[in-house]
Amino acid sequence: MSFGPRPKRPLLLLTALLSGPGLADDLFVDSQALPQVLTATRLKQSPAAVPGSMTVLDNELIRSSGARDIPELLRLVPGMMIGYGAGNQPTVNYHGSNVNDARRMQVLVDGRSVYRAGLATVDWSDIPLAMEDIERIEVFRGPNTVSYGANALMAVVNILTRSPADSHGTRLKVTRGQRGINDWYASQGLGWDGGDLRLSLSGMQDDGFDENHRGQDYRDSRRLNRLGLSASHTLANNQSLEWQFSAKEGSDQRPYTYKPVFPYVTAAGNNADVNAKDYAGSLRWNIDFNPEHSLYVQGSAQHWEREQEWRACDAALSFSPQLTQLWRLNPNYAEQVARNITSPLPAGNSEERALAEQVQQQWRNGGSQQVCGDIDQSTRETRYDIEVQDTLSLADNLRLVSGANLRYDRADSQTYFNGSLDDSTWRLFGHLEWRASEHWILQGGAMYEDARLSGNSLTPRVAVNYLITPRHGLRAVYSEAVRSPDMFENNVNWSYRVNNLEPGAFGQRNAEYFVKTRGPGDLEQERMRSRELGYNGYFADAELSVDFKLFYDEITGMISEPLRNNQYIASNSNKARFSGSEAQLDWRLTPADRLRLTYAYVDAWASNPADRRLSATNSGSAGWLREWGDGWSSTLFYYGDDALNQYRFERLDLRVAKRLRWNRTSLDLAGMLQQRLDDEPTTIYDNRYDSRHVLSFSAELAF
Amino acid sequence: MRRLRHWLLLVCLWPLGPLSASEILLTGSQDNPGVRSFVDALREQRTADQVRFIPVAELPRPSQIKAATRLILLDSASLEWRLSETAGPAALALRVSRVQVQQRLGNLRPAYLSLLWSDPPLARQLRLTHYLLPQARRVGVLYTEHSQFLLDELRAAARPLGLEIVTEAWPDLRDSRPLQTLLQNSDVLLGIDDPQLYNSKTAKNVLLSSYGRQMALIGPNAGFVKAGALASTLSDQDDWLAVLGQLLDQQPSRWPRTLYPAQFSVLGNQQVARALGIEAIDPSAAAIALAEGESTP
Repeated sequence: MSFGPRPKRPLLLLTALLSGPGLADDLFVDSQALPQVLTATRLKQSPAAVPGSMTVLDNELIRSSGARDIPELLRLVPGMMIGYGAGNQPTVNYHGSNVNDARRMQVLVDGRSVYRAGLATVDWSDIPLAMEDIERIEVFRGPNTVSYGANALMAVVNILTRSPADSHGTRLKVTRGQRGINDWYASQGLGWDGGDLRLSLSGMQDDGFDENHRGQDYRDSRRLNRLGLSASHTLANNQSLEWQFSAKEGSDQRPYTYKPVFPYVTAAGNNADVNAKDYAGSLRWNIDFNPEHSLYVQGSAQHWEREQEWRACDAALSFSPQLTQLWRLNPNYAEQVARNITSPLPAGNSEERALAEQVQQQWRNGGSQQVCGDIDQSTRETRYDIEVQDTLSLADNLRLVSGANLRYDRADSQTYFNGSLDDSTWRLFGHLEWRASEHWILQGGAMYEDARLSGNSLTPRVAVNYLITPRHGLRAVYSEAVRSPDMFENNVNWSYRVNNLEPGAFGQRNAEYFVKTRGPGDLEQERMRSRELGYNGYFADAELSVDFKLFYDEITGMISEPLRNNQYIASNSNKARFSGSEAQLDWRLTPADRLRLTYAYVDAWASNPADRRLSATNSGSAGWLREWGDGWSSTLFYYGDDALNQYRFERLDLRVAKRLRWNRTSLDLAGMLQQRLDDEPTTIYDNRYDSRHVLSFSAELAF
Repeated sequence: MRRLRHWLLLVCLWPLGPLSASEILLTGSQDNPGVRSFVDALREQRTADQVRFIPVAELPRPSQIKAATRLILLDSASLEWRLSETAGPAALALRVSRVQVQQRLGNLRPAYLSLLWSDPPLARQLRLTHYLLPQARRVGVLYTEHSQFLLDELRAAARPLGLEIVTEAWPDLRDSRPLQTLLQNSDVLLGIDDPQLYNSKTAKNVLLSSYGRQMALIGPNAGFVKAGALASTLSDQDDWLAVLGQLLDQQPSRWPRTLYPAQFSVLGNQQVARALGIEAIDPSAAAIALAEGESTP
């Protein structure tokens, strides 16, 4: 008798979950006690089940794009409008709004908001984070204050850094190129039983744009150095601790832009450069009570320091107490008087005219003398934030994420706040995911937020996903979101104190400039209502993933007055509306070729024309990544916006790289060429380059 | 005292020998509910035979056990005991893995030993991978010096399926670079049942890193499916009882030197499948599909 033939039936069939009592005592199953790692609380929705539009920029894309900073990388996200105030002042807006400020998007680094506490902007160049430390960027295209807090008004950029456990070894990288490109990066990662740590140091330098519209050298270069420490510790089988510390120091050049109010002033300062220092620290404690219940507590502290001292010159009359009084009485009238100091007085009431006559008298009696002095326009902002988030899987098809957040913001600035100002905000949020059937997923939630300076708000969000198959889903989303006015918009108390006046003015060496501006103090939150229909699908055979969406977003109570120190009257009186469609496609054509396309059509309308300038009607990107074999690879990207602030933007980026490997050591050499396909300035008329192309090279050694 | 117990045991066993030709002696380092339930089940199945369990510590040397006894070894301690002497009855070694035996015996296959592998056969795991993720072409495999010997076999099994095996040695588990490199270069991870690589300490790192890249882990064993692997094949007690039923019906001289059980089932983690956007796993359909693809020896 021989052994076999093998009986094909009956095959013992098991249920999907191992928790059945039948297997618990089985001598042949599960002999070792393993922790449940991918639990219901840790697993996220598949792309087709996400309640909104998401673009994930993965490691491969980040690396092969050759982008030196985050805004350039975000060109790969459909609907993202990248502009430049100057070479060192990139602005990123989703769908649009103002050229000068990007205040309507939440930006997080590992769950910590880097949105500045006082002047609610994101200083992209100053975020203390090296590109090389980024693992992935998840961009949630649409409002989501429920998950990310107020200010997640138009989109959320969630930057996830590489985990210390994945950063072992040494990496050294240098990049050199035209336009003064001079970047470096060094990191060392190590692990021990129960912990991992990464230290990274990096620096960046470039000249920014070459010239302004008059062909003069443009003062917008940047230079910075950063330090980052990231560690994780396993405290117990179900508990871990993660902490990070990062710091950045650098200088951002700013041109001298002050234009004297009074005639005959010939002297001027030569720059208004900023020294920027950023510090951030965070600590996160994760605890898994059981596979169905987990919680984290995250605390963070951040400090932004912008040292900006510059020398300004104008007539001594700028410090006239009478002119200051006139400004308080009627800023418009005061400005007319000042700008036409040698002309007859404009019409005004008797009090105004009396003061104006005194001012004119002062002009004739030495007030026209040119004086120069130092202005300290520095700001220091601090934020402390603590958040608790609980994830509870109530059933196999029901999950609840809830939590609370407490935040304290403080801003110090003599110029902007005449001292310091602080605010505290608390927030409660809850989000429920219900997988009603194999095909239907209902997700919804709400956030309640109360800020001391700007009041409270409740924002709901609801989404329905219909999964045709697990990899193909249709979605309909309605969400509301708010943005709190920042301290600057609402509570600015703007005046320039000029020190070391030479010669003195009105017998003083230190005096207050006559222009003073105060914020209204009663601004309300901006409110967004967003509607979206979308489709997300992955065709496994073709390895093609597709996302498509139609959107209709309205912002009401919009604060869109420019932040200027003469006549800044902020209000909630503006509105904007964005509608259109977006598509993204990621296709692995062959194992060696990856094709990626994004496109956005945005129809923008805004009651304030300034708010629709940064909306390109047609924008997008096309990329082709290829591995040629033998360590050679290439990336070709096209980026295009038909009109950003009226200027066309089209660029082709080519990166060719060669990887050399010896055992565990690898050397990556890459050359990158950026070729502008148009001759337009970038975003604003002063942002111009001498040449349409820029070339850079990088070498990275890892061992 | 211990010697006395051995002696008494021998006295008890010896006279029974000639009367009962089908004496089945199971042994292992310890008696526990799992062992007891298995011994009971075997006893129920082999009513004509005398089935008993004696802890290995209480057994005399193998050569002192009657030659006609059919030995069933339930763990590595009992395997060690049987290996201590060439003389003695033939034994079926259960719950031993390829990696474990390779470390202990290398390529040596003693004639008195029939090794019944506990780890899921790699060819079957590969077919499961191909069945669940038909678009995955590059199968990433981590190995240590102890499991390296399996790679050639794995490559041979991958060829007819059109799969490419991408390998990476992971000698120092505190340094995850090999894992990262592998994740970058493969479409799916296949776990080899090598306890140095896949254990309670490494589970978190491997599973979180692969999930972070939206990549599934197949195997290395059923325990890992609960921890977060997508799926694995497994043979449980009933499958092994069927194997033993056939083997015990034969003369020990006909026992194969090594054997993977023909009967198996598929275990899938539906939550993980859902999160990866994979169709819900139908374990029965998967098992049938895999069994149909297996070549008859």
